[in-house]
Amino acid sequence: MSATQFDLSVVLHGKYAEWLYEGLITTLQLSSISCVLAFFLGLNIAIMRMTSFTPVRWFAQCYLEFFRNTPLIVQLFFWYFGSYQILPKPINDFLNQYNFEFVAAVIALTFYTSAFIAEDIRSGITAIPKEQMEASRSSGFSYLRSMHYIILPQAVRHTIPPLINQFLNLTKNSSMAMVIGVGELTYQARQIESQAFKSFEAFFAATFIYICISFSITILVTWYDKKVLNPLGKGTP
Amino acid sequence: MESIFDFSVISDNFLQLLIGRYPHGPLGGLALTLILAFISVILSIFGGLILGLLCISRNKFISLPIIAIVNIVRAMPLLMVIFWMFFILPSITGGKIPENTTVICALSIFTSCYISQIVIAGIASIPRGQTEASISTGLTYWQSMRYIILPQGLRNMIPSFVNQFVSLIKDTSLGYIVGVSEITQVAMQINNRTQIHSAEIFIFLAFIYFIICFIFTSLSRWLEKSLSWKKVI
Amino acid sequence: MKLNRRFFLVALSTLTFLSFTKQSYADVTEIKKKGSIIVGVKDSLYPFGFVDEKTRRLQGYDIDFANEIGKKLGVKVELKAVTSANRIPLLSEENVDLLICTMTITPERAKEINFSYPYFISKQKFIVKKGSVKSLKDLDDKKIGTTKGSTSEKNAAAKLPNAKIISYDDYPQAYLAMQQEKVFAITTDESILAGILSRSIKKKDFELSSFDISKEPYGVGVNKKNPELLKIVNQTLLEMEKNGKANETFTKWFGPKSQVPLVRDFKIVP
Repeated sequence: MSATQFDLSVVLHGKYAEWLYEGLITTLQLSSISCVLAFFLGLNIAIMRMTSFTPVRWFAQCYLEFFRNTPLIVQLFFWYFGSYQILPKPINDFLNQYNFEFVAAVIALTFYTSAFIAEDIRSGITAIPKEQMEASRSSGFSYLRSMHYIILPQAVRHTIPPLINQFLNLTKNSSMAMVIGVGELTYQARQIESQAFKSFEAFFAATFIYICISFSITILVTWYDKKVLNPLGKGTP
Repeated sequence: MESIFDFSVISDNFLQLLIGRYPHGPLGGLALTLILAFISVILSIFGGLILGLLCISRNKFISLPIIAIVNIVRAMPLLMVIFWMFFILPSITGGKIPENTTVICALSIFTSCYISQIVIAGIASIPRGQTEASISTGLTYWQSMRYIILPQGLRNMIPSFVNQFVSLIKDTSLGYIVGVSEITQVAMQINNRTQIHSAEIFIFLAFIYFIICFIFTSLSRWLEKSLSWKKVI
Repeated sequence: MKLNRRFFLVALSTLTFLSFTKQSYADVTEIKKKGSIIVGVKDSLYPFGFVDEKTRRLQGYDIDFANEIGKKLGVKVELKAVTSANRIPLLSEENVDLLICTMTITPERAKEINFSYPYFISKQKFIVKKGSVKSLKDLDDKKIGTTKGSTSEKNAAAKLPNAKIISYDDYPQAYLAMQQEKVFAITTDESILAGILSRSIKKKDFELSSFDISKEPYGVGVNKKNPELLKIVNQTLLEMEKNGKANETFTKWFGPKSQVPLVRDFKIVP
């Protein structure tokens, strides 16, 4: 008879539970920091993508295409191992003093996600009728100011559900940071697998946590959709 | 001036990046990446259609469990789905399953669940009146799906399908983590051996993926334009 | 949402049930009938298992042992690359028949799989920057790189409680991180470290630590369901020791003329 017995208590108490808890915290830190950074970066890229100044628009376009069309795992490896050759030595030394694994993961996740966020924001902005921009320009606002005060506040309201979805993807994608040694949830589950051979229990617990995160975010989006965007129960216009 | 990059590491190992250890060992590298992606795409088109149709089935005993499973899979990171496949598949078949098959199954199931959502949305985009009309002409529910609704719905879905396949191609890179010798794994192996050319290797790797994915992204955009044009006519 | 949750539980318990209904088929007759044996080896770990750049073939100390066992069984050897983290699950799930991949024999692992007699014995040491480390104490608050699922990881965590251990997918990756100064030292078995150093362009800058933290006997891993195969593996190992093949293989990879000169201070014994 094989020694495999399903015993969830192994990962609910003691050392392994601590590992999983640490993993959860790292996952949440990693995703929330990257989320905030990716939002602001994505916002800027979206605006750059829509300016009338051609070089800037092209740059934004290339940025979007490149980061959307390469796998995250390759980007992670690139930032972690490849940056050594590219960055000047003082910056490398500085980064290596700290937790560079985490920093590289944040950088990779931020760039990757910002490209998707930029597209969502852009489609949010294009959903706002063009006349609004024309009206605000003719009432004396500059392009950036009318973006800031008139267009964006409306666009952001409608892009919140897709943005939260991106955050959800980001949280799931953060699991790939394990390949460069970031101690997030999947990494810890894998550690438990290889140290205690309790693979089933470890993955069960980790999966359960991921599902809880995902479902609570999904419920949030559904609630926002119903209560804020369509309070009267009408469909989107 | 000396360049900071030395791409000779790519040309020296080009064959290994393309086909791995073949013919002295298993096929790997870019060829394996493309094979994995191709098989998974085909499987997930069918899987997605079936799951999508089951989700909107009027029989609650069929639709609810399927909806639950689809939502659970969509809530999980792909990496976890792959790890689970290593448990589930051997217990179903009772024997050994090669990693390639395991990864193909994981990718297909994962992508099917996402495609099923596209299918549901595509079917919902066809006015209900059409189903009612075709049922009243004597077709059964499934017949009207098969001959009336799906052919129209599929046309709207195609661009989203292609987008999903771009994700799938990118996702084959996760095979690296479970030891499938696709191009990312081969690149990492070369990186481990040569040690000082990481930037070149990963830039090249990103470039390869970019070309493949960009072709499909452009295809999806073109389809979106040309299909919407047809709809207007 | 409520319904979804109920079905989620049902689905999970189904999965749980499924995972208990594992069955096994592979045994020696099956392997002989199939005409091939699948052996899990390392694929970028000089000189145990690595891909030759010119021929794109796997070779090394472990691979020579795999071939001897294949010869004894009269079957073809199929090599499959494994990592320290996935090798034991791969063996338990019967994706590979044997593991010959620098695996240390430990009591925890012996609960999961069977081990052959040790076919190699190493000591766990560190690679450090030349002259930077005199004793174990110098490492205690540093970042140390090693490999997921290895005994080195466990030993290092036990011996260096204040150090931050970072685990990579494989040793060369850890060494790369060290060259890029992402970790202060890397730790694993002397034989592996010496192999890594010998192939490194920057080997002048680094050295092996003079102290070691444990002895590491390597064994061939065999599935518990297949005791017959274990017997054959052990028999092959003893024969190789007797007819000098084992010594010859050692000299081929670790002899004085090799890139990783080590002294053979062990014999394969039951």
